[in-house]
Order: sequence, then C-alpha cells, then structure tokens
Amino acid sequence: MSLDKDKLGELYGKVGVGNQTTLGIMGSNRDISVGEIFLIYSCRDNHERVFFFRVLGLENYLRQVDDLARIAGTLMVEGDAYLSGIERNMLLSVGGRMLGYAEKKGDEWVFNSPRRLPDHLASVYRPVPGTSDENVRTMLACQIDGEVYVGDLQVGENTLDVPIKIPSKYLPMHVGIFGSTGAGKSNLMMVLIKSVIDNNLDAFRNPKDDSQKVSAFCIDPHDEFAKGVDKYGIQDVVEEMSASTRKEVIGDFYYLTTHKRATTRDIRKYAQEIRILWSEIQPRDLYSIREFTAEMTSFIDAQYSSHGENWISSILNMDEDEGKALNVQPGTLRAVKRRLSFLKRSPIYIETGNSILSDIFVAMETGRILVVNTSLMSDREQFLLTTVVTRTLSDMRRALKSSGNLGDFERQAQMRLPSSFFNKVNAQARAFYGYGGVDDDTLVQDPKKLPVIQVTVEEAPSILNPELMRGQSVFKDISRQGRKFNIGLLVVSQQVSVLDNVILSQMNTEINLRLGNEREIRACIENASVNISGFENEFRVMSRGEAIITQSYRELPLPVRIPLFDDIYEKDKHKYKDKGSKKSEEHIL
Amino acid sequence: MSELDSMLDKILTEKFRRTLKLVFKDITNQQDLRDEQEFAKDKARIKERLLDTFTPYSPDVLLENDFRIAAIDGSGTDSLMTLDDIRIHLLSTSTIVVSTNTHSDNLFAPLEREVLEGELGEQPHIDLHWHSGVRGDARHKLAETLANIYPLKDVLQITLPFFQDYTKGKIVSFSDFVDTEYEKHVPRLKEIESLISREQLLTNPTVHEEIRKVSEYAAARNLLMSDLNPKYLLLDGALSVFMHFVRHYPSMPSGFMLRDLCALARQKNVILCAVSKNHTIPFAHRIAGMARDVFGENAKWFCHLPSKEDPEGGLHIYEDRTYIPPMLAVPYLFSFSRDNRPSRIDFDRIWWLENIFVPGNPGATRANEKALFAELEFMSRDARWYGYPVPLALAHESCKLSYEDLRLAKEVCMDVQSEMGLEKRKAQDLRADYNL
Repeated sequence: MSLDKDKLGELYGKVGVGNQTTLGIMGSNRDISVGEIFLIYSCRDNHERVFFFRVLGLENYLRQVDDLARIAGTLMVEGDAYLSGIERNMLLSVGGRMLGYAEKKGDEWVFNSPRRLPDHLASVYRPVPGTSDENVRTMLACQIDGEVYVGDLQVGENTLDVPIKIPSKYLPMHVGIFGSTGAGKSNLMMVLIKSVIDNNLDAFRNPKDDSQKVSAFCIDPHDEFAKGVDKYGIQDVVEEMSASTRKEVIGDFYYLTTHKRATTRDIRKYAQEIRILWSEIQPRDLYSIREFTAEMTSFIDAQYSSHGENWISSILNMDEDEGKALNVQPGTLRAVKRRLSFLKRSPIYIETGNSILSDIFVAMETGRILVVNTSLMSDREQFLLTTVVTRTLSDMRRALKSSGNLGDFERQAQMRLPSSFFNKVNAQARAFYGYGGVDDDTLVQDPKKLPVIQVTVEEAPSILNPELMRGQSVFKDISRQGRKFNIGLLVVSQQVSVLDNVILSQMNTEINLRLGNEREIRACIENASVNISGFENEFRVMSRGEAIITQSYRELPLPVRIPLFDDIYEKDKHKYKDKGSKKSEEHIL
Repeated sequence: MSELDSMLDKILTEKFRRTLKLVFKDITNQQDLRDEQEFAKDKARIKERLLDTFTPYSPDVLLENDFRIAAIDGSGTDSLMTLDDIRIHLLSTSTIVVSTNTHSDNLFAPLEREVLEGELGEQPHIDLHWHSGVRGDARHKLAETLANIYPLKDVLQITLPFFQDYTKGKIVSFSDFVDTEYEKHVPRLKEIESLISREQLLTNPTVHEEIRKVSEYAAARNLLMSDLNPKYLLLDGALSVFMHFVRHYPSMPSGFMLRDLCALARQKNVILCAVSKNHTIPFAHRIAGMARDVFGENAKWFCHLPSKEDPEGGLHIYEDRTYIPPMLAVPYLFSFSRDNRPSRIDFDRIWWLENIFVPGNPGATRANEKALFAELEFMSRDARWYGYPVPLALAHESCKLSYEDLRLAKEVCMDVQSEMGLEKRKAQDLRADYNL
C-alpha cells in the first residue's frame, strides 16, 4: 500500500522536535510563508500515515552557529568576513501546528485529530500545485467533500486544486461568516449562492441521486449579488440558463426588492416587490428585533389575543381613552404606537394588498435562491423581514414536524400562522408536505427530506445580541431547533465577540475571514468549532478572500482561498446552458 | 545540609577571598616581577624586529592561483566504557579541505564530502583502543594501536626523518648511526613498542593523548599521500616533540611521526603548521598590547618568537621554558581579530629555513613572513570564528564529540555488549556509582 512519496510534493525537511500538537521542522532555506501546509510521511510500526502540518512561525537557522546575532555583528563590523560553505548550513527552522493525520483504512482514507506523532526525523514534503493535488484530495476526502463549494485549499500563498465543500446536511446546523469590511464577504456570499444554484442544478439534472436541494434567502444589503461586484453577478448565471433549466432551478423570480421600478430591465424580469401584510407579523417578530418593556409586551400580547392578526391596526387606531378603558397607561400606549409607527411609513409593510410571503414560502420549499435587495430598507425593516420570513418558514415546518398526516398539519398550522397567509399557501403546502397525496389522511414528509433552507442574517449583532436573545426572539428557537426543521441560519457579521452565546454555541460551521482587531481574532478562535488556538498570527496576515473554515463535524481546520466570483463563473458558465453539457467539462480549465 | 552546600558556603566567605588575594599577590610578586625584568630586556627587539603587521587581502581579491587548505582535528574520550581496570578509548579525527575559491562567490567553500571521502575514507574517522592495568599491557597495547593507525608501517622509515632533521643531515640512512651516540639505541628503533620510552608515565590520559596525536598524524599522512594537493596543512596544537633526556630522541612514537610528516610535507610542497589558542607564551598579552600601541587597535599582526639558533638568539621571557620554541619548529604569535587574545602558530623549522628565512637578509625574511601571514589571515575571516583559520574550525566542528554524542555512543556500547551475550558489567563512569 506504499504511497508514492513524490506525489506528496517536494522533499522539504525533517521533523526535529515536537509533540502531537506542535512540531519543529528543520527545512531547507526556501521561501516559506506562514500558513503553508506541509505533509509529513511517517511509517512508525509499519503504519503508513501522512500528517498535515501548518506553518505558524519561521526562524533562520545556521548550523554550527549558536548566536546568529553575533555572526551578523561580525559580518557587519569586519567588512571582509565571509561564511565558508554556509549555503549547506543555512536552514529554516519551521514551527507550527499539527493539524491531524490521514491514514488508509481499507480503501478509504480517514482523517484523525492530532493524537499521534510522526516518526523520528520523518521526511517533510511541501505540496506542489499540479503534483500533490490528487493525493491531497484523496487523503482529505472526508474533510472536504460536500455539496456547497466554498473555495480551494490554500497552502501558503498558493492553492491546490483541492475544492473545499460544506455538506448541505450540515447547513441547518448554522453557518457563520465572520470578516471585517473588505475581507471578501460579498464575494463569498456570491460564491455560496452560485454553489447552491449548482447544487440544485445537479439535483435537477440527476433526479435519481438522493441529492437534496438547498433554498437560500439571501439578504443583500448593498444590492451587489444580482449585478455582481465586478463583471458578473447571479443575474448572469440566471441569464445563461436555458428557459427550461431556469424555470426548474430559479423559478419565475429570484430577486426581491422594495422598488421594482428602480430595478434594471434585465433583472426586473425576475424581480418581485417585497410586501408583507401587517397581519403576517406577530408580536414576537417585533420582540426579536427590538427591546420592549414588560408593560409594552403585556399590552401587545393582550391586543394580539383579543384582535388576532389585526393587532397592529387595532393598536395604531387606538386613542388614549380606549387605552384607559383597557387599563393601559397613556405612556405605554404612546410608546408602543411609536414603535409600530415605522410600519405605517414603510412601503413594504402594508395593511392591505398583496403579500409576497406566500411566494417566498413556495420558493423556499422548492429549492430556490432568493436575493433580497435590502439596500433601500431601513435596518428595522430589514431585520423585521428576516424575522417574519424565518419565523413563518419555521412555523410551517414546525407544524409539519408535529403532525402525523395533512389533516393534523392544517390544524397545527392554523394555530400558529395568520390565516391571511396560511389560506393562501395551504394547497401548495399540502403538495409539498404530503407523502404522495394531498388528502387529510395522507402521511406527512419528514422535514429532513425537504429542501434545506438557509436564511441569511445580515448585520447579525443587531438582532443576535445577548439582550434580544434573552427575550422571546424567534432566532433563539431557530438556533436551537432549526436542524429538526432543516432550516439553518447563515449568520454574517463583522464581529464575533458581540454575538449571543446561544447562537455561537449552536453554530457548527464557521468561515473565518480576515478580522478587524485582536479582540475579534480572539473571539473567533475561542468560538471556532475545532481547536485553532495558535492561529492568531495567521489571522493577522490574512488577505482578502482567504479564510479558515472550522467545522465541528470535521477534525481539520481548513485554510481556504475563496475564488473571485467572476473567475468561477467564467469557468463554469457553459454548464448552465443545457442538459447536454457534460459535468466533466468542469475540469478542462 | 549537604556537602555541596557547605562547600558553597566556604566559597562565599570573606576568608576565601582573602586567600585568593594572597595567591594573586604572590604571583605578582614573584612571577610578574621577574618576568617584567626579562620582558624589559626583550621589549625593544620585539617592537622593532619581531613584531610586524602586513597588508591583508582585499575581500574581493582574485588570486592568480586559488589553492586548497587542509586542516585536521581530533577529539575523543579515554573512558567510553570502564570495565574494571580496562578502559575503552574512543577517538574521532576529521580532515577538512577548503578552497580559496576567489574566482567564485563561494569563498573558502569546503570540498564536497563525497570527493573528500573518496580520497580519505569516511569522515570523521573513528578509532577505538583499550588496555588493562596489567604491567606492560598499556605499552604493549598502545604500540599495537599506534602501529595499526599510522599508515607508514616500516618503523625505521618513521624514525629516520627525525634524525636527519635533528642532526642537520648527518644521519640520513641507517648506516649513518655507526659511531654516533645513537648506535647503541638502534635495536630500540625497530619496533613501535620500544619507541615508547615513557613507560612509567603511561597513564590513561597520556595514552589517550598519544593515540589522538597519532590519529591526527595518520590523517595528515593520508592527506599528504592523496591527490588533494593542498597548499597548507593545518594541525591543531603545537609542533612540539618531547624528547627523552638521556637518549636524545623523541620519547614517544608520535614525535618521530611528526618529523616524518614534516619531511613528507616538504617533499610534497605543502606548508605544514599547527595553530593553538592556548599558546603558553609568557607575556603574550604584553606583546599584544605593544602591537595595539604600534599598529593601532584594529591591526592584524604577527610576532616571530626566535630560538637560540636564530641570528640574535632566543628571547629572555622564555629562556627557562623548555619547549618554547619547540625543537625543530618556529613559533609565531599572531592576532587577526581585535576581539580575541593572540594565538600561536608553529612551522617546521627545516621548511622555514628553506622557504622563509633568508640568511643575512632580514628584510627579505620579513617580506616572506608578511606574505605567509597575509595568506593565513585571508583564511581566517569566517564570521563564525573570525580570526581563526576556518578549515581548522570546520575540522573541529566536524570531529567534536558532544556530551550527547558520547551518551549515545555509550548506549550503543552497552547494546552491543548485550547483543554479544557478554556478561553485564557496569559500564558507567566509576564515579557514577556513588553519585559522586
């Protein structure tokens, strides 16, 4: 079973000192950078293993020299000094962390946490793009395979042709994207949206596969995703598709915006206006985005129980006398009215008219992506939208989960959801959720078989902070129970430190981009799903588009370079054309 | 309180300081005062005619003929293993050859290991030796080891060069011994064992020292016989030959071998010299001070230490010191680095007389010396050991046995013993037994 060591890369050095967590390597005097990954071949006791090692520190080392500073001083002071045969003795002392090791069990490579040590003076290989890719791909298969492509394995300043993917089944266990301004969050989001589209395209083209569709509700606060940041955007992916493919994968619309008329013509074809009825808003949606005093919540709750889905109108129309009759302090009434008044001014929250919520529900249950342009919304409008959508989707699936057949489901759903909404979607919901029928006694589907729904929470600290999460936030439930309903949050934030612990502890995948300051770096390392202590220096030198992915279900922290959306779009655009285009063409470029 | 603590207590007392003060005072009173008077007599001569500086090569000099320099150093332990009264000695000897290489960027690059080992065998070279405390055993076994190590096996051939140099050419073949004071010793000159005439002094360190020297000389002989053709061959230490006071020839085989080497080096046109950092030259610090005064703080200088046979005779400062200058050798004190104390270098006197000394022409002699030291200085500029010849430093680095090497060697020893099924005998240092 002996491994072809030449395919690991170029022989770089030998293992010197160390233990199962940190190692010191003596290597040749090459241009090594922090962050590089080395492969260490070990055959202790006839167990062939390849250890993965990440460079965290470098030091020049001269054999036969104890005091390099003294030599430098002598070279400086004695202008005529030389160093005889020094090239051979110039080495690099490389320190770093053991990431784990790959070992072949039967025909499969398995990857293990660092709990063993490479052999004495084991040989260290430096991966070479073009040579080592295949080997690394095979050895890391269990660490990198999945459905949602994020980027390529980064080894120092290079990347290997080793795509890193997140398995879609782990999306409901929540994903965090952390990075400061300019770290590459927008590009990453576009890459992820494209990956989700690719996944759904695959699921559509190979229906026999048990592959699962993924739906994504993507908040786009700067209206960049559809048009793109540079040359191409999601719109180009959509346009590239043949009509039939588009209908299946994208549906009639993918772009939600506040003002459709302000949208460019090509996108307008796929655009819908965001409108939510007051009746579709529940009190706890508001509690999730803003703090209310006990007096206010008890007043609102009382109104909700007596007026049901008309609670907002009833409060907004109430005068102080009516309030007094109901034993409400004028101050409380005024305060609640003030807090609800933005709904009156908002173009998207309407008292009567057509709501988009049912369309959103249908799209999310059929494996679609929605790009939600929130650039013209106020923060509060945006947060409320995310909350209403998340809560509605999860209430629907919660109703499903607590039912045996469609009759049960309808009862459960009517209890949880406003009738204005539910009556619109009932028929379709039955079609989605029924197991081969739509009758009352038809058994219901397991939510795990339905599309994975990923909801983006942008500027997460505004709603996922400890203050709001202490109360009746809908996100508290989703973060704890989302996986039961196959609904996950995609938490996007510039900061880690200010997020609530409930959401952080329930998060199982983190894509850590460049961070702003030491406090965020520390918080990010503490929060990571695998131990990445010691990576502080890495974060400090990270460039735009570089990330470290940590996943609780995988042992290896994965350094990844996220490609530019334009590059992967150009590489892959042929495959959107039609069913005829072969998947294998992906690898031509 | 342990013994160690009580000793520490003593060292830290005022009484101990007082005792030391007395000793230093004693040295100043007796030694320094006497030497000061002697030095005063030599001062002018040293300053004006023995001490000099030279023009160092520029760092980017292109030598017309790049040349090679070889250096040999050895290391070892006289107690790799102690088995009752038997001790096993371990010796390691390294030869390094570098080239001036002024025509490439890689100044003084060592010769490829493969080339070197192709000519000289494995580097560093390892020898083992043992003897017991049985009467005569040390001498017998030592002779056996030396004969085994030294590549020239004909003992008569080994001894002749000494007599030739010592008698200034009167004895060049065996027939010349007739009617000389040596005639009666001729039978003794045929076996290595009978060349060892310091039997009563064959302590373990003496035996070790002798084997180590001979190992280095053997390496030197192999080098001189090889095709590596260096211009210089540097040894570590001095070119001293210790004499039997009655018989007037070297008291140990190594003395003869050194002279054999000198003769061979002359024949092969190789400059043989030995460099030692602990030079035992009295008043070296004063000579260095004088050099600073005369040539400046940064000067690189040398100082000839003449013998009685030189035109103005020897110096007063070492008049009573038996081995300065060493017999048949010419020592110089030198310093190529302001940061270090001066070192000493010895040349073969016969070579020196032929190549450096110009009778009746001190100016020409001085010019030869300056050219010689300019070359020596050029090979002593490695930043790791600035001022010390780099080939010797490399040889030293290559042969030295670290504490860790030795520990491993001892472990291997025990391992081999048990592999051979030998009776397990305690093999650590005897001191270790009582934790002393």
